[in-house]
Amino acid sequence: MLARGVSRSSVIQSLKVMLIPGRYGLERWSYVLQRVSGVVVSLYFIAHVLETGNFVGGITVWSVPDYSFAERAYEETVKLLKNPIFDAGLAVVGFLVALHTINGIRLVLAHFGFSLGRPRRPEPFSPPPSFSSKQRALFWLSISLAVFALLYTLDSLMKVFRP
Amino acid sequence: MRERDLMLLHYITGIGILVFGSIHVATIFFTYPFQDTIWETTLRFDSIPYAVLPVYRNALLAASLFGLLLCTTVHAMNGLRSIITELVGARKRWVEALLFAVGVFLLVYGTRTILIAHSLV
Repeated sequence: MLARGVSRSSVIQSLKVMLIPGRYGLERWSYVLQRVSGVVVSLYFIAHVLETGNFVGGITVWSVPDYSFAERAYEETVKLLKNPIFDAGLAVVGFLVALHTINGIRLVLAHFGFSLGRPRRPEPFSPPPSFSSKQRALFWLSISLAVFALLYTLDSLMKVFRP
Repeated sequence: MRERDLMLLHYITGIGILVFGSIHVATIFFTYPFQDTIWETTLRFDSIPYAVLPVYRNALLAASLFGLLLCTTVHAMNGLRSIITELVGARKRWVEALLFAVGVFLLVYGTRTILIAHSLV
């Protein structure tokens, strides 16, 4: 149910505008990636808090249980989670966390006026100026570190690159 | 709260996540040589340093986990709020109330896990 004054079609339209950067520049791609990674990592965080709560016995336990009970609950949770699909999902989360972190640092710097470059006059018949070179470098650094985090997480969980 | 204060809070909690999250990631991914996967080392229940339970038993690491829980809850709920506000076009009280309730639940449930695991012997 939506609030008064907000139609479903206007929200869908906003979602389309938000998620499809189309012909816009890198700046717009970084905006979309920041929001998508933020939502996915937030959902992962909620699931992670619920899942770690399982290893002391779940939502019904509010006092310290027996050690053996907690150990058994933990082993059962691990048995459920230890599979290639979960490993791959966790690697994607690693990718998104690294991307969100470095891109977030870039955004904070930009918000406080660092690494913006000097203002330029718009030139006729040429596209408007986008990222400064430092901002562009930070964006690509976030992508590079995200790929590294993806591969590292995958290897830590599944020994993909080791004998 | 005003939008500018919320954004400042967003940045401060982001820096908190960077600090506490680095400790969390380091204990899981960087405390063992790479002969085995983390399933056989840091994701074991107990019996080796930096397995799951020893991390919770260590007061400083448990406090850092609480710091991570607090910062991530505030950052995530405020982030979702700002995305929904962008989509809907205005701040909605029911959205903020819902996200606040989810945040309080996560904080209470996560703190319960940390306290119980810290006391487990």
